[in-house]
Amino acid sequence: VPGMSTGLSISNGTVVAAFKDALVHQGLLALLIFTLLAAAWLAIRPRLAQAGRTASGRGAVGRNAIPEPAWRRLLRIGFGVIWVFDGILQAQPKMALGLPSQVIEPAAASSPAWVQHVVNWAGTGWSSHPVQAGAAAVWIQAGIGLWLLAGARGPLSRLAGLASVSWGLVVWVFGEAFGGMFSPGQAWSSGAPGGALFYVAAGALIALPDRAWRTRRSGRLMTTGLGLFLAAMAVLQAWPGRGFWQGTVNRQPGSLTAMIQSMASTPQPRFLAVLVSHFGSVTAAHGFAVNLLIVVALALTGAAFLSGRAGLIRPVMLPFIVLCVADWVLIQDLGFFGGLGTDPNSMLPMALLAAAGYLAVALEPAPAVDPGVAPAASHPARPGLAGLRELLEGSGFQSLAAVGAISVIVLGAAPLAAAQANPVADTILAQALDGTGTSVSYPAPAFSLVDQAGRAVTLATLRGKVVLLTFLDPVCTNDCPVIAQEFRGVGQQLGAADSRVELVAIVANPIDYQVGYTRAFDRQERLASVPNWLFLTGTVPQLQQAWKKYGVAAEVAPAGSMILHSDVAYVIDSSGRVRDELNMDPGPGTTATVSSFAAELTADARKLLGQS
Amino acid sequence: VNRTGQWASARCGGLARRASTAALAAVSAVLASGCGSTATPSTAPVPAATTPALSLSTSLQTGTAAWAVLEMGGSAADFDNFWQVLTRPADGTQWKLVTPAGTADNGGLVLASGGQSLITAFRPSQDLTFTPLSATSDDGQQWLSTGPLDASLASTPDALAEGQHGQLVALLGNGDVTQATPGYTSWHALTSLRALRATAAGRRCGLVRLTAVTFTSAGVPLAGGDCRQAGTTGLFTDSNGNWTAGGLALPASLAGQHVSVLRLQQTGTSTGVLLEAGSGRTASVLAGWLPESGTWDVSPPLRLAGASVAAASFAAAGTACVILGARRGEIVAASAAGWQPLPALPPGTATIAGARAGALDALAVRRGTLTIWQLAARSARWIARQTIKVPIQYGSSG
Repeated sequence: VPGMSTGLSISNGTVVAAFKDALVHQGLLALLIFTLLAAAWLAIRPRLAQAGRTASGRGAVGRNAIPEPAWRRLLRIGFGVIWVFDGILQAQPKMALGLPSQVIEPAAASSPAWVQHVVNWAGTGWSSHPVQAGAAAVWIQAGIGLWLLAGARGPLSRLAGLASVSWGLVVWVFGEAFGGMFSPGQAWSSGAPGGALFYVAAGALIALPDRAWRTRRSGRLMTTGLGLFLAAMAVLQAWPGRGFWQGTVNRQPGSLTAMIQSMASTPQPRFLAVLVSHFGSVTAAHGFAVNLLIVVALALTGAAFLSGRAGLIRPVMLPFIVLCVADWVLIQDLGFFGGLGTDPNSMLPMALLAAAGYLAVALEPAPAVDPGVAPAASHPARPGLAGLRELLEGSGFQSLAAVGAISVIVLGAAPLAAAQANPVADTILAQALDGTGTSVSYPAPAFSLVDQAGRAVTLATLRGKVVLLTFLDPVCTNDCPVIAQEFRGVGQQLGAADSRVELVAIVANPIDYQVGYTRAFDRQERLASVPNWLFLTGTVPQLQQAWKKYGVAAEVAPAGSMILHSDVAYVIDSSGRVRDELNMDPGPGTTATVSSFAAELTADARKLLGQS
Repeated sequence: VNRTGQWASARCGGLARRASTAALAAVSAVLASGCGSTATPSTAPVPAATTPALSLSTSLQTGTAAWAVLEMGGSAADFDNFWQVLTRPADGTQWKLVTPAGTADNGGLVLASGGQSLITAFRPSQDLTFTPLSATSDDGQQWLSTGPLDASLASTPDALAEGQHGQLVALLGNGDVTQATPGYTSWHALTSLRALRATAAGRRCGLVRLTAVTFTSAGVPLAGGDCRQAGTTGLFTDSNGNWTAGGLALPASLAGQHVSVLRLQQTGTSTGVLLEAGSGRTASVLAGWLPESGTWDVSPPLRLAGASVAAASFAAAGTACVILGARRGEIVAASAAGWQPLPALPPGTATIAGARAGALDALAVRRGTLTIWQLAARSARWIARQTIKVPIQYGSSG
């Protein structure tokens, strides 16, 4: 999955600092938004109260007169809290660089190629813009959570459900590689079909129109769906040959044991590690019994839900929720410890959905409102705690809070959308690898060499153009081809301005320096057709003179090693002065870092073009 | 009663529907999960004749010196292993490290010599896709960068050959054969796997792939490969652009065997070939020699008895040397009646080279240390003669 890694350490100080800065700045903006909304609310509150009195005096029936059913409230508040929690988890400092390689890539590793291709598209985008993407995930998830918590009724509340569906699908497809559905070895106990799919289901239920609240139909649909799902999961968990029935197989841990043992080995509080490790030993010794318990529980609960009768569901609810919590603690290890946890995994959302399903069939639906009966009249705002309660309970306040939550989502989504639309990676990756360039101003040392076509080229002949200069070994096997691609990327990023910039490399090899080698290198790197690309060479003394003037070392190493040379670039303005010196060690040479170095050079070139 | 009956019927129907949907869901879940099954290995038949992976480690003899090429470093990572060139004067006893500098050689080195000079080709590795060349005419004291060959050389020890007039012929990774005149900056197509398959000789052979190229002592390009048709040898000579069968007749005992060309090399006054016939426990190896004028002389076959040829070389006077597995070595001379087993090879032996007075040198590698063991003529014991510490530049190509 090539797009998943920037090759940088996930705790790289430069990116982590930028990520924190972005979160702080956007957090301050969010605070400002909420402050403005609060002020606006205080200003319009008396008018709203007056309007409410007038409306109730006319005997009008409020649109929100139907009380929110308990199952919906449970889903809305439960998933709202989980979304906020997920948003907080996304704010871990290592998340910006770590999510693609530590979270998404492992999830996609055992999936088919087409799944990896889909996931790689998103991973490449994240890797190219780690700060914006990381911050966006924080604000989008926290925003959806706040939106769900704030919006109890009305269209805004239903839209919150749709937002949960939309982002949940994004997370499920790109973050969880379709919940691992297409990779072998998945089971209910280990998190199938992906926690985010439960967020989607819950969001869809929350988004149902008000009329769905008034009948038992919604409840029956929920229980049937849950019943089908649990029955399917029971079969999956019980299917022979998948390693779930054996604690150990040929002295190797079975599927369930292996997962528990891997979770126990992740960093976490000691008591939890001991608990999970102990359960791992129990599973290793009694794998059959543990799996049998899970399969029977899933089958019985599924059958109870399929019956659609509250009387049958009630006895299995508590054991099922206990099973979910036990699985969450002992098998999924709470879901977020170790590595880069992004969510509490599937068991809490599963339990919430099951409980909501039960409530939907156990409790009577809200009665249809008689249009002739007016709801309780609103009272004028009262001072003190009672007044505050009324204020908080008022639908107007909820709407404003929902608007605030939407603003938080936009705060994250807008920069992410802009970044995702830009195929060019952020320069922060290049800076994280090699630091920022050194601004200088001195006359560029002269050189007199020949290009790949054998034509004489001097620095003077390039006067009037911005020159991006580097030193490359044509037979180098790693860094130089990557740097060449960075230079090629500059040409592509410059667009029309490309004609005012010369991309120049001087050979950094005292042995394989002939024109035949520069031409072969150009063909290898698809530079032969780049009109402003010059790969210069000369006699060894001429080259050595150029290396010396630019402070470039080109050392011949023994025993089959390649030439050891400096990876540097000089940005020379149109009047022939060096204006920037850049370390060009390309690091891992990933798609993202190549683009990032190119963006850094492009920015330098544009700056000089703007000055000329 | 009627109402109750209808209710009961509807209820039973509902339960039945739920049971069927549950079964459907269960089946769907099983299908979606793939049931944890693993992919079954393909049972597609492999080509009838396939050349086993033969190491690039080898040695060759020029007029003035013996040469050896082998891999050192001992790392599991290819980019931390480096190929080395060593030479010893034809009349000398001491080997010397003369690896040409300037290019990372992690992809392997291929040697070629038309008699006086020696050309080294650097097989591409990592992001390099073409083949740098380096030449010496003073036994490795000085190397001159030449070429390059703007393509990837095939990964076989006979992918490059030099003619007596300095012309080069190269077998590429894609099966094309190209040639160049001295200077080696301009290459042109000589033939290709596809073109040879289309010839009458190629059709008779059922040519699967090309494995070696050389020039005969008479200066004629010669290409070798694997045949699908049993009992035919994949040798092709160029007669003014018309490629015909190389004319090597197999012993009658091998008539039903598929034959692969392992090595093809000039050996002084003749052209040497090493063939593998058959596969598995019935496989055997045999050598052949083509004098400047005359026909192929073929050795008796050597039964491999389940072993495989790890490396092979031609020593002085065209003596073929093969390394079979870890410690087994066999040689056969052009004039000999049959193969001669060598005493157990020293551990780490990468290649065998001919030495003075009928002796043999075994070049054994252990990480960055090369030990040269010598087997005197008619002796039964290898004796360590020289140790060379090679400064492996670990990490310089990673």
